[in-house]
Amino acid sequence: MISLAEIVRTPAFSIVLTVSCYAVALALHRRWRAVPPIVAACVPIIAVLLLLREPYAAYNRGGDLLTWLLGPATVALAVPMYRQGKFLRPSLPRLALIVFAGSLVGMVTAGGTAWLLGAPRSVVLSAVPKSVTTPIAIEVCRELNGIPQITIAMVILAGVLGATFGPLLLRLVGVGEDRSVGAAVGTSSHGIGTASLVRHSERQASASSWAMAAAGVFTSILAALLALLLR
Amino acid sequence: MLDFLRGFGLLTVFFLLGNLLHQHGVPIPGGVLGLLALYLALALGLVQLKWVERAAGLMLRHMVLLFVPLTVGLMDLGPVLSRQAVAILVSLLVSFLAVLLSTGLLGRWLLAEETVSAVASTGPSAPEAEK
Repeated sequence: MISLAEIVRTPAFSIVLTVSCYAVALALHRRWRAVPPIVAACVPIIAVLLLLREPYAAYNRGGDLLTWLLGPATVALAVPMYRQGKFLRPSLPRLALIVFAGSLVGMVTAGGTAWLLGAPRSVVLSAVPKSVTTPIAIEVCRELNGIPQITIAMVILAGVLGATFGPLLLRLVGVGEDRSVGAAVGTSSHGIGTASLVRHSERQASASSWAMAAAGVFTSILAALLALLLR
Repeated sequence: MLDFLRGFGLLTVFFLLGNLLHQHGVPIPGGVLGLLALYLALALGLVQLKWVERAAGLMLRHMVLLFVPLTVGLMDLGPVLSRQAVAILVSLLVSFLAVLLSTGLLGRWLLAEETVSAVASTGPSAPEAEK
């Protein structure tokens, strides 16, 4: 006789639990746009684990398999980058410069502010990659010996802020041109920001998805330099 | 289905290639190296866009699913998070504004002259983009 606890501890249980909570979260998000899928997916999983008194490590044996797929998902970013790069070709060198500068500003201000507020080293380093798309941010955080969960929480908040207030804030400082808006939202708010632009301007969304992938690449290169300095 | 498997297989091969380079001392994450390698392969025509397009689209659309397991790990981080909440939130807000505004303003400055000529040449289609 297999006990319930043994079933719960199999990787297959974790995967089925995660995928079904994700599916429910997507349905909730479709009805109520304000519900972020990541929150709606994680809350019931944590509740189930707490109810069954299962430690996170046991759940994550199956979870690790899904996490591994973030690797191929990062590679997949080459597709929108290549596709949008063709449209943007005439302004590509300048766009690259803008996104590079924005990425550097993001790393310095995020780490710097946390450091000034007296956060421990692991939290400061977790803040550094907070502007870029989740799979790259997680990898950069690991390279820097940060805490991936803190990075993820910050990445999601940055995305939601950009999707909600990005274009409005840019208009306040007189930035309305499509490629500039796209570059700014993509660099500061990655995929979540980009998705919010798709609905009202294709040109903005195109610059934004290029910027989001480029910001990920620039940030990981800059982080490699930072890691060398910290050694 | 076969189309998707081919795309997924290619993405995985590029990821493993990136990991290999990373393990041999390139200090950039394997996924990012794989991204750069795939971009290069697309640009050189070694890989056709249609081979990877569908698989990439599916993975990017459902990326949230892939970081659910790590996010669930927040359940073990309650104490760290509550102690550092102020530092985390302030740094997030400051840095978000700094990136958004610096990138946007730099864009306004660097892309400005071209916008004028683009508006002049495209004429009637320019207001379209304002919507």
